[in-house]
Amino acid sequence: MTFNFRRFSTVLKREFTRYWNIKRQTLLTPLLNTYLYIGIFGAALGSRVGDLEGFSYIVFILPGLVMMALAMGAFENNSSSLFQMRFMRAIDDQLASPLSSLELLAAYTLGGLIRGSIVAGITLVTASFLIDLPLADPVLFFGGLLSVGLFFALLGVLAGVLADQFDQISLYTSFILQPLIFLGGVFYSVSLLPEVFQTISHFNPLFYMINLVRHGMLGASDVDPWLSLGLVLLGCVVMFLVNYRIFQTGYRLRS
Amino acid sequence: MDALEIKKLRKTYRSQKGQKETVALRGIDLNIKQGDFYGLLGPNGAGKSTTIHCMSGLTIPTKGTIKVFGDDAVADPTVARQHVGLSPQEVMSLDWFLSVEETLDYHGGYYGMPKKLRKKRIEELLDAFSLQDKRKQNPRGLSGGMRRRLVIARALMHDPQMLVLDEPTAGVDVELRLELWHYMKKVNKEGKTILLTTHYIEEAEQLCNQIALINHGKIVETGTVAELKKKFKKKTLEDVYLSVVGREELQRTAEADEEGQETP
Repeated sequence: MTFNFRRFSTVLKREFTRYWNIKRQTLLTPLLNTYLYIGIFGAALGSRVGDLEGFSYIVFILPGLVMMALAMGAFENNSSSLFQMRFMRAIDDQLASPLSSLELLAAYTLGGLIRGSIVAGITLVTASFLIDLPLADPVLFFGGLLSVGLFFALLGVLAGVLADQFDQISLYTSFILQPLIFLGGVFYSVSLLPEVFQTISHFNPLFYMINLVRHGMLGASDVDPWLSLGLVLLGCVVMFLVNYRIFQTGYRLRS
Repeated sequence: MDALEIKKLRKTYRSQKGQKETVALRGIDLNIKQGDFYGLLGPNGAGKSTTIHCMSGLTIPTKGTIKVFGDDAVADPTVARQHVGLSPQEVMSLDWFLSVEETLDYHGGYYGMPKKLRKKRIEELLDAFSLQDKRKQNPRGLSGGMRRRLVIARALMHDPQMLVLDEPTAGVDVELRLELWHYMKKVNKEGKTILLTTHYIEEAEQLCNQIALINHGKIVETGTVAELKKKFKKKTLEDVYLSVVGREELQRTAEADEEGQETP
């Protein structure tokens, strides 16, 4: 397992160059989406919803929205970047070079994580000017966000390698990720649901992620945050090992 | 030490959705000496690109060994890949998010070249391939010929000991073809080993000191142009090629001789 920092940082820089060149699409669009959610659900509808778990509705949903921006940014970056590279065969220049599997995987993963973090960071900073945001447990909040972003960055790499067509990536996002995020409790507390739906929610991995980040910010959670953090980190390890194996064997990358 | 040593190389592509397995390479043995300008000739689907892809790491061989300047390209590819510069057949495979200059710079970075060295090398290559005024341009805006220059310049960026050119003059005009020939000869004279695949037989005849003829995934014949002509009792390399691929009826020299016409 070799690791050369210069080779790794070149791939990372290439990723950054890619999304910076198309920043309207990669950075401004997700920011706009997040602000629309904050505006509509938080400010417009939120005043009628009232407080949830002792917080105004806009404050209650904000950790989930920040996490969603981070997760979707990291996933979309890596899935579309890797798919495009495979589709155009531009990835051949990287695959024919001495770049190791670890260098490639680490660079793509970090590239997506940085893009997601930029969107989430701007959302958080601008929101903090408008709303009085609590920060109950900074370690759990930032650690939780980072681990969730890492998981989705790794998931994006997997999707980018497995997808046969560009439509497939949109399908993963629209039919799997977004429903799981919304049903995981971004806009509500799962404790408000009937018991059967509460039980079902516990099988949704996004439920743990949202609650982890929410606990970090608000100190309130439907589930033990350390259990959530453990599960997210376990997910990251599994996803890393799967992706590493794929890069090592060249599955769907090398013929 | 040989620049390239391939032994019993086999490649079988696994079946996909009801299709049969495809055997692309059936036990290839090939030795290329350091400094050779080596031509690999064969019809479409003969296994030329698969051989090249196996040695450059884009295809995983099913069996066999590949050594590039003594380093194992299958078991420990990281070192072996450092020796090879690949110019692929497909010029559309350039990274469309990077400019001409960035294409070269990032390629150098993938090979671990320090920034200072990359800067120097970029200037040399932009000059050599007349790409200076296109340096900030995106490959999408380049003509086919310019993209071809860029692909070859990129292959040379990390100063490899061996240059692999997969049909480098396909679809380019005569001027550029001659320009590329000139440059390839120069690079070879400077000591780089070159492996060239081409469909232009006269190109191989002009440039290569050694030829291998490949058909149905096997190396059928190897030798110098003179040796091959002598062995097959043919006047041109094209006729040798047609004999090897079993299309003697297409030979132009024999036909022209019989009819008392000049060879076209």
